[in-house]
Amino acid sequence: MNQEAKRHATPASPSSSSTTSLDSGGSARDPHRPPPLSPPSPAMSAAVSPLIAAQLNYLLAHSPLPLKVGQVWAGSKNGRYADRFTLLVPFCLDYIKWDVVFNAGYPSVPPDFVFPPEDDDFHPLIPVGDVKEEKEGEGEGHLSKSSLSDWNSKDPSRLLALVHELRDLYMHYQKKRIEELDDARLKFEISTILSREGIEVCMISSHDRPEEVKFAVPLLDIDLNKLVLACPWRHQQKIYLQVVFPVHTSYSSAPSAPRIKLVSSSELKSLFSVEDVKLPPWLDGMCMAEYLPNLEENLKTQVLEAVASIGARRCFIEALPSLFGRPLEADPVFCRRATVLVVSGVFTFLVHFSIPTQFPKQQPILTLQSSQHFNSQGTPILSPPINDYPWSPRWDVPGMVERIFDFLVDECLNFKKYCNETMPQQQ
Amino acid sequence: MADDAVVEKISISGPTLASIIHRFTSSPGDVDGLLFGHVARLPPPDLHDDDPSAATSAAASQSPLSATVTGIFCSGSPMGFYDALGRLDLPALRRAFAAADHRPPGFALLGWFSGRRRSPVHPSMREFAVSFSLSKYPTLTLDDRPGSAHPDLPPKPCIFLLLASSPSPNHAVHTHEYRAFVFRSTAAGSGALEPRSLDVINVGPAFRGQYSSFSPASAFPWMPCWPRGIEEGERERGSKKGESLREAERELRLLESSAEGFGLERLERLVGPGAAEYTSELEDLYTKMLLKLEGLARLVEKSSARVLEQENRNSLLRNKLAGME
Repeated sequence: MNQEAKRHATPASPSSSSTTSLDSGGSARDPHRPPPLSPPSPAMSAAVSPLIAAQLNYLLAHSPLPLKVGQVWAGSKNGRYADRFTLLVPFCLDYIKWDVVFNAGYPSVPPDFVFPPEDDDFHPLIPVGDVKEEKEGEGEGHLSKSSLSDWNSKDPSRLLALVHELRDLYMHYQKKRIEELDDARLKFEISTILSREGIEVCMISSHDRPEEVKFAVPLLDIDLNKLVLACPWRHQQKIYLQVVFPVHTSYSSAPSAPRIKLVSSSELKSLFSVEDVKLPPWLDGMCMAEYLPNLEENLKTQVLEAVASIGARRCFIEALPSLFGRPLEADPVFCRRATVLVVSGVFTFLVHFSIPTQFPKQQPILTLQSSQHFNSQGTPILSPPINDYPWSPRWDVPGMVERIFDFLVDECLNFKKYCNETMPQQQ
Repeated sequence: MADDAVVEKISISGPTLASIIHRFTSSPGDVDGLLFGHVARLPPPDLHDDDPSAATSAAASQSPLSATVTGIFCSGSPMGFYDALGRLDLPALRRAFAAADHRPPGFALLGWFSGRRRSPVHPSMREFAVSFSLSKYPTLTLDDRPGSAHPDLPPKPCIFLLLASSPSPNHAVHTHEYRAFVFRSTAAGSGALEPRSLDVINVGPAFRGQYSSFSPASAFPWMPCWPRGIEEGERERGSKKGESLREAERELRLLESSAEGFGLERLERLVGPGAAEYTSELEDLYTKMLLKLEGLARLVEKSSARVLEQENRNSLLRNKLAGME
């Protein structure tokens, strides 16, 4: 039970925190946003008009993208039914905010979208290019025969189709913006790399900084979700290389190196931390097509090692019962956590094992938690994390458990003393 | 090309803006509608004496335009004259134009407005597309009455007025915002909605010039009137009849239709020395006119009540359809 609850709580917290941070960033940039109301309603808590709720729920449940709903508003006079909301659409390793406006009073009317002011010239309904193209009706960059023209409010899958159509058009729009830039290096990069599947590009422009172009390059064509047994991830996990090029319009000055960074979703962290990967240096005059193969190979070995490390961690957890008894709880998928109950005389305490992704190269971090000593707030007293006990990755697994057990036999006396000192004296 | 003309100034009369905001606040949901008015050329900015080329080229096509919104049409239901992709519904647009009953010369469709609650004051995807479509159809801006085509009439722009409102949580304070835009076609083909400031014209010392330049236009003809005595009047009338008999008869008919059978002969007797005797007759005229007005007002009131009734019934049906209650 406890373990179930813990698993559910963990993925929810980072996502909600990132929503709020995006929200605050967005409203600072956009002066025309209506002032936030009373407590910002979490998604779906307001009574969304039934037909609209069906569309929205379908969208969130079935989209392969991790979409999020920001604020939900009511547009009718009495304000009883919400019919408009902010949709956070993942794009190019960031979120773009689109306001989706339905009309609760006229549920058959298809939704309208308000794009942020920085995408002022993104007009999905307008044919791009010249008028001839429009007459032929073959303009690539606009919704000509879309889910919008034959909108059916009774079919809950329409909003999903529409959002994906619009996102594709937005991708096209960003690509076009970058192609129009007068930068020889970017032109070259785009011509060599843009055929790669899943790549996304966008312009980063702000008032006080020079323009930049961001590439989000998906790395490794292996399915990370399939590498993990009983994989809990709902969305497809990918590791991306984020490359940010400064825009150079003059040909004379030598273009500076781009800023590069590996990015993955926070969910992937329980398997593999991209922060631990050391990126190969970007040499002068290098292009992405040269840089990527080397990096991918390197990364692939590390990911496979990380997957192998799950097996090692599982063995370690399975070896715990011989000395510690059955763990109270353990992470069965990534085997990153286990907790055991230990008794020494009359002193009862818990030992939390936090097992790093690089196990057995790195040793588990131990935290002791007393079952008998509480601080002034009423929470059990915890020891600081312990990771300086004797350790060798070359020991066999039962040996590791034995050494930890031996270490704890001594350490528990120190911890008991620490508890007694920390606990407020009760007279 | 006619599109080169730039609308620099957008004005709207205070009552027109107030009626748009009223339509918006009183409607149960979002509203949209058409804006009517006229366009005039602003005087060319600064002409230098020493540059003769500028004076000639900038004379007609380059001088900026000023658009004045004087009327609105709001159908009450969203997407009345366009579809989901922002394409125009031409028959609906013509009907709306015909519905505008008072059309002075130069009166034209200037653009449209949209009001939505609790959403960013920024043109939406569809709003942009509708403005784009409106700007593409120059025929719609023409007045269809014969003889009203002004050769020197400037090209019509497409104006978009966006309104937003957000009440405070307890509905004690309602914030209304509006932004005006002008659609300009760009080289890329898609065009852009450029924000413009909106001048609100009100009565007051600041608008004295505007007030003085007003010239009334009425469908009611001038009443024939001879204050100098009957004999003199008789003579003059004789000569007048000879000159423009037809004109007088037409005016007479118009007057009679307004006076409900109160003959011109009776009216003539009111003017002159014997006027005092006819005070009661004059009162009779006024009473009849008032009765007619009152009857009209009652009719309007009744039909409004029935429209409201039907509107409420419709919105109930729509709610039922949407699964709300």
